[in-house]
Amino acid sequence: MQLPVLNEAPAAKSGCSASSCGTTENQMDALPDSIREKVQNHPCYSEDAHHYFARMHVAVAPACNIQCHYCNRKYDCANESRPGVVSELLTPDQAVKKTMAVAATIPQMTVLGIAGPGDPLANPERTFETFRRLSEEAPDIKLCVSTNGLALPDAVEELSKHNIDHVTITINCVDPEIGAKIYPWIYWNNRRIKGKKAAKILIDQQQKGLEMLIAKGILVKVNSVMIPGVNDQHLAEVSRVVKSKGAFLHNVMPLIAEAEHGTFYGVMGQRGPTHDELQDLQDACSGDMNMMRHCRQCRADAVGLLGEDRGDEFTLDKIEEMEIDYQAAMEKRKVIHQAIQVEMDSKRLEKAEKSMQFKAEPKLSTRPVLMAVATSGQGVINVHFGHAKEFLIYEASPDGVRFISHRKADQYCGGDSTCGDGESVLQRTVRTLEGCEAVLCSKVGYEPWELLENAGIMPNGEHAMEPIEEAVMAVYKEMAAAGKLDAQPEAARASA
Amino acid sequence: MAVKIIETCVNCFACAPVCPSKAIYEAKPHFLVNANKCTECEGDYPVYQCASICPIEGAILNSLGEAVNPPGSLTGIPPEKMAEAMAELQSH
Ligand code: SF4
Ligand code: SF4
Ligand code: SF4
Repeated sequence: MQLPVLNEAPAAKSGCSASSCGTTENQMDALPDSIREKVQNHPCYSEDAHHYFARMHVAVAPACNIQCHYCNRKYDCANESRPGVVSELLTPDQAVKKTMAVAATIPQMTVLGIAGPGDPLANPERTFETFRRLSEEAPDIKLCVSTNGLALPDAVEELSKHNIDHVTITINCVDPEIGAKIYPWIYWNNRRIKGKKAAKILIDQQQKGLEMLIAKGILVKVNSVMIPGVNDQHLAEVSRVVKSKGAFLHNVMPLIAEAEHGTFYGVMGQRGPTHDELQDLQDACSGDMNMMRHCRQCRADAVGLLGEDRGDEFTLDKIEEMEIDYQAAMEKRKVIHQAIQVEMDSKRLEKAEKSMQFKAEPKLSTRPVLMAVATSGQGVINVHFGHAKEFLIYEASPDGVRFISHRKADQYCGGDSTCGDGESVLQRTVRTLEGCEAVLCSKVGYEPWELLENAGIMPNGEHAMEPIEEAVMAVYKEMAAAGKLDAQPEAARASA
Repeated sequence: MAVKIIETCVNCFACAPVCPSKAIYEAKPHFLVNANKCTECEGDYPVYQCASICPIEGAILNSLGEAVNPPGSLTGIPPEKMAEAMAELQSH
């Protein structure tokens, strides 16, 4: 299968010219209709859809059948969540109730995923009961599931019976030598198996499962954890293999290892990749494979839009009290989804036009520049610097604007006056923006303004409520005109 | 003859479904083995099933009270290294 380009590829590396102001429209055009249909409103797959639609996860699957060196098993599956997170375990019945309560309250919620806290397919009864019931009772919700792949081949038949439109497999390697450095053991045929032998079985099962899903017409996304010195050089090969088999997205996530998590990598001092290393790998692979850069490794019980988590509104005791008329909710959801679709379509058209305009203008010759953006969705700059939970990082260059990644902020201001040790948190936030030369938000306070300037990051509150790509483009042009982008900045790029 | 689950259990649920004797049950603060039901997998499997999937070193003891999965056997972290890292963390 020929793979269409979904995310903007850097023009310099792939020769793809689609990389200017949000080319989502064009990328989507390249996809076969059946896939485009499934992907274009998917908050995890479509960069602009994830500004409008939301996904949620329910934690119904506690057990796991393998061990990854970055997971301590006390927290949620580290393949699917940021390490160190613990979700509230739900029974299938509670999960169905919660999903329907959320869908009725947040009509933008279109995707329900099971991602943990262990491996969903190592808990087949709990996972499949949840899917079975949701397919029947809430047919307008798409279902997705993530797995380490060990039990995947046995699950494909059952998965194909439900509303499952995609499966995520975490594949960190296709070489057992490397696998043995990532997976210390697996539980297989009633035994614990270790070393290369274990890695080989896991890899074979992953690949077999991938092939079987593709044969059934189920979309497959592949996630990989980038572990410097272990599989970083190898992931381009992984990308090539999974692409040749028909996976339609390959998403590289950074290893997060802390000694206090008590994981092998954490305790042994294995480091994670820097922002630059991650971006370079994503660039190297995207000429080769589509990347999903807006993935934020959300938690196994996350609820909400873009980095937000409204899970607190749907705790068990609260959903017990809710009376949900799902038929009525479904009607309401349909109307809202149509309205969002209209808005999204017009925004896509607008972006495509802007991008044509930009291409028609004389080409600038500057170096690329990274900018951070604070947004809570709708594709506009609408968050106060101090309230941003995360920043979206964009790159502007003579080829246009492209989305690069998310970075979590250490929120320093909770909105009340008790900011405690606010100072140091603010400094940490500024540090997460390392490598960026501007930050666009709806407002920036006096104190962060100064800190940002000192760190070589230009605060900018002039584009509040404007579309992100346009604002980034405008700031880029200003910087170019002021001659700020002629040479490398002294400090910023080196450590970005 | 029975195995025992102790307080280091993290309640991951993995052991219960693989027990051929249905001897393991969810309890507070952690999973437990019904000693009357546990057969040590005799006649079903050559190895304890619970201890073959349990990810936590030391959480399951055999009838002699020894850890079936001693420190370092699952994570591959040498016990000295673990002690060192934990001491390091505590000193902060
Ligand atoms: S698959 Fe997930 S839950 Fe299982 S060991 Fe790996 S990271 Fe942990
Ligand atoms: S040793 Fe075997 S029978 Fe006993 S609790 Fe473990 S799995 Fe069950
Ligand atoms: S597998 Fe181990 S850690 Fe998990 S519930 Fe059983 S005894 Fe506890």
